Amino acid sequence: MGRRKKIVQECERLMDNPEHIRNIAIAAHVDHGKTTLSDNLLAGAGMISEDTAGEQLAMDTKEDEQERGITIDAANVSMTHEYDDTNHLINLIDTPGHVDFGGDVTRAMRAVDGALVVVDAVEGAMPQTETVLRQALREGVKPTLFINKVDRLISELQEGPQEMQERLLAVISDVNELIRGMAENMDDIPEDWTVSVEDGTVGFGSALYKWGVSMPSMQRTGMDFGDIIDLERADKREELHERTPLSDVVLDMVCEHFPNPVDAQPRRVPRIWRGDPDSELAESMQLVDEDGEVVFMVTDISMDPHAGEIATGRVFSGTLEKGQELYVSGTAGKNRLQSVGLFMGSEREEVERVPAGNIASVTGLRDAIAGSTVSSVEMTPFESIEHISEPVITKSVEAKNMDDLPKLIETLQQVAKEDPTIQIEINEDTGEHLISGQGELHLEVITQRIRDNQGIPVITGEPIVVYREQPQEESREVEGQSPNRHNKFYITVEPMDQEIVDAIQLGEVSMDMPELERREALQEAGMDKDTSQNVEDIHRTNILIDDTKGIQHLNETMELVLEGLQEALDDGPLAAEPVQGALFRLHDAKLHEDTIHRGPAQVIPAVRDAVHRALIDGEVRLLEPIQDVRIDVPSEHMGAASGEIQGRRGRVDDMYQEGDLMVVEGIAPVEEMIGFSSDIRSATEGRASWNTENAGFRVLADNLQREKIMEIRERKGMKLELPQSIDYI
Amino acid sequence: MLTFIGLGLHDERSITVEGRDALRAADRAFAEFYTSRLVGADLADLEDYHETTIEVRDRAGVEQDPEPILAAAESGDAAFLTAGDTMVSTTHTDLRLRAEDRGIDTRVIHGVTAQSAASSLTGLQNYRFGKAATLPFPYAHGGDGVPDSVIETIEANRERGLHTIVYLDIKVGTGPRGPDPDHEEYMTADRAAALLADDWADVLGVVVARAGSPDAVVAADRLSALADRSFGDPLHLLVIPGDLHHVEADALAGLADAPADLLS
Repeated sequence: MGRRKKIVQECERLMDNPEHIRNIAIAAHVDHGKTTLSDNLLAGAGMISEDTAGEQLAMDTKEDEQERGITIDAANVSMTHEYDDTNHLINLIDTPGHVDFGGDVTRAMRAVDGALVVVDAVEGAMPQTETVLRQALREGVKPTLFINKVDRLISELQEGPQEMQERLLAVISDVNELIRGMAENMDDIPEDWTVSVEDGTVGFGSALYKWGVSMPSMQRTGMDFGDIIDLERADKREELHERTPLSDVVLDMVCEHFPNPVDAQPRRVPRIWRGDPDSELAESMQLVDEDGEVVFMVTDISMDPHAGEIATGRVFSGTLEKGQELYVSGTAGKNRLQSVGLFMGSEREEVERVPAGNIASVTGLRDAIAGSTVSSVEMTPFESIEHISEPVITKSVEAKNMDDLPKLIETLQQVAKEDPTIQIEINEDTGEHLISGQGELHLEVITQRIRDNQGIPVITGEPIVVYREQPQEESREVEGQSPNRHNKFYITVEPMDQEIVDAIQLGEVSMDMPELERREALQEAGMDKDTSQNVEDIHRTNILIDDTKGIQHLNETMELVLEGLQEALDDGPLAAEPVQGALFRLHDAKLHEDTIHRGPAQVIPAVRDAVHRALIDGEVRLLEPIQDVRIDVPSEHMGAASGEIQGRRGRVDDMYQEGDLMVVEGIAPVEEMIGFSSDIRSATEGRASWNTENAGFRVLADNLQREKIMEIRERKGMKLELPQSIDYI
Repeated sequence: MLTFIGLGLHDERSITVEGRDALRAADRAFAEFYTSRLVGADLADLEDYHETTIEVRDRAGVEQDPEPILAAAESGDAAFLTAGDTMVSTTHTDLRLRAEDRGIDTRVIHGVTAQSAASSLTGLQNYRFGKAATLPFPYAHGGDGVPDSVIETIEANRERGLHTIVYLDIKVGTGPRGPDPDHEEYMTADRAAALLADDWADVLGVVVARAGSPDAVVAADRLSALADRSFGDPLHLLVIPGDLHHVEADALAGLADAPADLLS
């Protein structure tokens, strides 16, 4: 029997023992060394050869990942580790660090109970460190810290024990400050989740040279920082690895400090599920009951050339077995499980069953998407997984050969299923489909995969930025009339408070939640009581309030009113870009007596008309997406670096020294940032490292409004004149 | 001058003599068939019979772009044709008002409408009808099944002992997925009875099929029983009688074969 097979068998044996399971994610800023660390852990567990760990990047399973040297998809692996004389099953997810792939991180966090946050000792906590910490805490996932690349402090920066200690403590204190800030408003996080060396929730080491230490390991091995510095300086890294191997230190930390499912689920379930807390289902999830009803949350969908579509996720209750007929949230009917398995790096191993508390990979759930709740009884689905960032860049994709058209549409739909941060728009008439995502790289990777993996030659357009439209002031009451002029709607609009917009974006307020809860959440975000009681619809980040009283037939017409509203909001009045952050009030409606004369052909255009008129009266303007930009650069190139921001309609907010580098921080429009990577490289002779993060939308400068609106209208084949009422632009 | 002319119930000959004369005298003739239509005649039959050309306008061509009609009425005599009576179960008063606003003279030449046929054929007295309702296809009203307002209308009429005319949806040029020039669909009386039978399985209903044609059918029975029958070609309508006057009861028994136990 092969070693791998043995591990699978051991995993199967341990699956039934939730106390000995740890579900964890490794997350970090890009290039801080997550994947190299994951490989170490795999090697330590005997899953890959010791020699190739670090170079093999076993977790970067796709060719493009190995080529680009970054992780793109979250990858799963199960392994075993002996701690305290007991064998533990560790289900590990390696997540991407590049900001464009943040959606994968968010989804991975739903499946796990602990997050090992990796930080580069030299660079310290970076913007993505903050983001992954926030993603973890929001899902109720406990963090621990591993400070990587400590060898560089010793060998490159020639730091002594004192300097090194100071630097490491500074990193820890930065991370703790982030954790404290975020945990402040989370009452359900019981203990202090800051990390500390003394408690053993911080590890140090070098994933590249495979050594690591922590307070408990130093006590056990007797190795202190002095010994490490001596060995590292003497280039005796092999010995260092043998005496204090990284994987033992980290996996011990995982087993000791991360909660097992039995500890974690009672706390996490109320955070991520809003069903009846006193129901049998709630109890069975909190107890991690393998004999309960099946509850499986899908966090990832991937394609396997042999097995087909694979759904990976967390089993919260019951036991998954082949042949089960399961409900998939948001779809009718049931899906039948074709097979049940575990992920072992790039390969999936089929097993008989996967009980509650584990991460499973199954086939047969053809209706599931990343984020689906799958269960043996119909149930309230889990909270939708929050995607902090919306798509900001769009590219057109066209099949080169007409014959590939159906296959391309199928592939695009598959892509959207696998990655909910991607939005696709199929246009069967023109054949020019649109795919929107988090950034240039995100789209590049997706289109390359369509080309290479599916073998579909495609033509892609230049990346285009996604815009928004938003009213700037409160409108007067406007009237919208149906084509037959027998129905009228009276509407106003006002810009919505940012706090409410945020609450919608974070999923704290949605139409899916019980009305009472929604009301409370809206009031908490600052909406007055009367208004919060009349919420009729939330579409994107817009709200419709029904301020009418006792209008006959309005109830029965409301569905159509909402359709008209949603159409009007998807295609705003300026350039048919989505409307955001607007609060509409329906004040009055005049309706025809007979349903047939107030049908869809009448009501939808009437409402659409009213909504657009209100937006125009509220001085709707075009908004563009912006990014936070941070550039780390040697001081002699600082001028060039800040020039690159300023030259892109950007703003430099701060410049300060950090170590031997200067940090330039600012914001710039996403549109201008297209092509930034090559420009900054040449402007700074390749000496700059930088990071960008989507930072929402901002009103486009007045003098650019008309020009940009016309440019978009032309691209979309719309009329090149604005309605006369738009006289303020 | 804009003359609204009702074409009557069935075919090219259902128009009144006055209407025929006005149509033949008009400089241009327009028609719409999305609110109702003649089942016994198509456009060619009409044009042949009246020896004229008729321009058919779709819904958008009447409601959103009435300009060609109004312009023709401004510069000459224009006729606007619909099946039945032009102002009954339509929203064409709007078109008439737009014309008046522009100083165009208008007049209405009536046609026979299903509303009077329902009374005439069934023997149910026109004094005893309450509010009418249209039963739309489920996909056409943004909900499932029967709209609440239709239920409420029938309910309120029944409480007051009044009859309800239920017009049945016609979808021409628009299908379940929006505009579709080839789409032509008529709600049949049996389908309507089936929809209403959910609430009123044992309630008496009266089907009127192809009113105004030589083979008009009138049939009275339980809604659940009507749902299992077939009444042939369109157009159909359904009446839900309220309390019955003794002559009305006799008429339903004698003219529509109503089961005796439903008439007491």
